[in-house]
Amino acid sequence: MSDVPAIIHWMQNSDIGTGIRESIWLFPIVETTHVLALALSVGVLVWFDLRLMGWGMKHEPVSQIHKQVMPFAFVGFTIMILTGVLLFWSEAEKCYLSGFFRLKVLFLVLAALNAGIFELGTKKSIEDWDKYPVPPPKARMAGLISILSWTAVIVAGRATAYNLF
Amino acid sequence: MHFLLPLFQWSDQTWLGETIRNSRIYFPIIETFHLLALTLLFGAVIILNLRLCGIIMKNQPTWQVAQDLAPWAFWSLVVILISGILLFLSEALKCYASTPFQVKMLFLFTAIIYHFTIHRGVSRSDREPARAWGVIVGVVNVLLWLGVGLGGRAIGFL
Repeated sequence: MSDVPAIIHWMQNSDIGTGIRESIWLFPIVETTHVLALALSVGVLVWFDLRLMGWGMKHEPVSQIHKQVMPFAFVGFTIMILTGVLLFWSEAEKCYLSGFFRLKVLFLVLAALNAGIFELGTKKSIEDWDKYPVPPPKARMAGLISILSWTAVIVAGRATAYNLF
Repeated sequence: MHFLLPLFQWSDQTWLGETIRNSRIYFPIIETFHLLALTLLFGAVIILNLRLCGIIMKNQPTWQVAQDLAPWAFWSLVVILISGILLFLSEALKCYASTPFQVKMLFLFTAIIYHFTIHRGVSRSDREPARAWGVIVGVVNVLLWLGVGLGGRAIGFL
């Protein structure tokens, strides 16, 4: 493949990239860890999002869910990013050329921006929300964007693996 | 010949199985629904068992958390089972020969039975379980579902 940037070509053919790609065990182990970390992080996060939207866990105060549950999502995200980088490294050229992988990165950025805005701004009044059954519109919107963008990340990720473009 | 072989052969030849097998996109699409529902269920399992182990949301009774998680978790399980059956029909004979598939089914049936009997009894009780008992019941539940997930991923690789 000639029409990829030099760094992508280098990653694909580096010791790390080739080692993971051609190992019988390494690729499946890294990939399985990636999926399990995804189920942990996104799985837990989605429940917080549902709570933000007023759709689930209504009896638990939203500030408490955020404080106690999100650290577990964070651990999952860290593992997911690390294993994701390794997976990309091993299939850099395939990923770079895949339309679905580009979509995946786009939605990851959207999810990160949404989370950043929530954590740095929207969240400030979270303890006031405990008094009401449903959080304010800006919080509900953050939950909705989070669920939709992570769903899109998973869909695009699967489509990348199957080379559907 | 194993007594279940005819069942696998029949599954492999169903109209649904053949339709999915002959399409390039049906399998990935169904698998994506399988994965999305699985993510939601796994999240619920983690949160509920963290509560059962007395690690998070200690101000809420366990039964309340269990009750709030139950409807979404139940419908996730329904989506997982339906999409899982469709995926199975499309490659039943491959599954027949697959050790990870057998391991996965063993974990799956154990996890479901355990979840709706022992685990449900403890997590829905009016009285909070003793700490150690809650931890044991919770950890076993997480490990069972983890076994299902690992077995499932291994079907695709081995």
